[in-house]
Amino acid sequence: MSWVLERVDDRLVHGQVVLAWGARLHPRRIWVVDDAASPWERDLLKGAAPGIEVKVVTVDEVAAGYAAERDAKGGAFLLLRDLQTALRVVEAGATIRALNLGGLHYAPGKTKVNEYIYLDAADRALARRLRERGVSLEVQDVPSSRPQPLAALDPETATP
Amino acid sequence: MKHRVPALVVMHADLATALLRAAARVYGVVEGVEVLSNEGLSREGLEREIARKVEGWTDGGLVLTDFWGGSCHVCGVAAARGHGDVIVVTGLNLPTLIDYLHNRDELPPRALAERLLQKGKDSIRLHDGQLA
Repeated sequence: MSWVLERVDDRLVHGQVVLAWGARLHPRRIWVVDDAASPWERDLLKGAAPGIEVKVVTVDEVAAGYAAERDAKGGAFLLLRDLQTALRVVEAGATIRALNLGGLHYAPGKTKVNEYIYLDAADRALARRLRERGVSLEVQDVPSSRPQPLAALDPETATP
Repeated sequence: MKHRVPALVVMHADLATALLRAAARVYGVVEGVEVLSNEGLSREGLEREIARKVEGWTDGGLVLTDFWGGSCHVCGVAAARGHGDVIVVTGLNLPTLIDYLHNRDELPPRALAERLLQKGKDSIRLHDGQLA
């Protein structure tokens, strides 16, 4: 069973993940990839999802543990804060085949794809590189909303 | 009058504004409570907005959020860090907010937070006989 949600979301552990996806998919573990997390931030994230084991790991650590987690009992979520981290995880050896894009919020220089996805030129280039590596990208914030291919919403993420 | 404990209500969508509007129907005119929605904000953006609002609270205050584990809670805790007696309370509901309004001039932040914690628990009840 294992990887039941592999998601790019700049809020990492938050309500949609814990209350919406969590209630639907019942993960036993959440892997949060954050190379820069301080010990204090790790503790905060670990306590944010009661009843679920939250592991805050580096890119290298998740790449090393990715295959074993796929064969582990119980479901797991993978949370990545941005497309750059997603590509780094793939390039480090994690064989991710599909990513859910759940939240990349507005920042200066980014343009709107939908209400919760904003991208700039660098993001679009990263999306193309992920596609080239065989990773499909699907936009969906919560389980009850309709998943949509990123390329359908933003063709530049497929072809420059 | 003792020092008034300031509060910032941080919630999803329009809930904070709606809750404050409902509180005004029960309590009367509500002054001195700030509201913030997480709508459209990244983790960093929300944390920055909360930090900006609490930075002037030299004697502490309360960040009141909707639920444990949500971005409002997580970012509230991160923003409150290093700000002394700025305390995050999760699971705010209408009775708890009204209790805050009645007691914000009487208790210091920590005692008020503990009171609200109990008030929130006590406010969710089953009416006798409604379950078989």
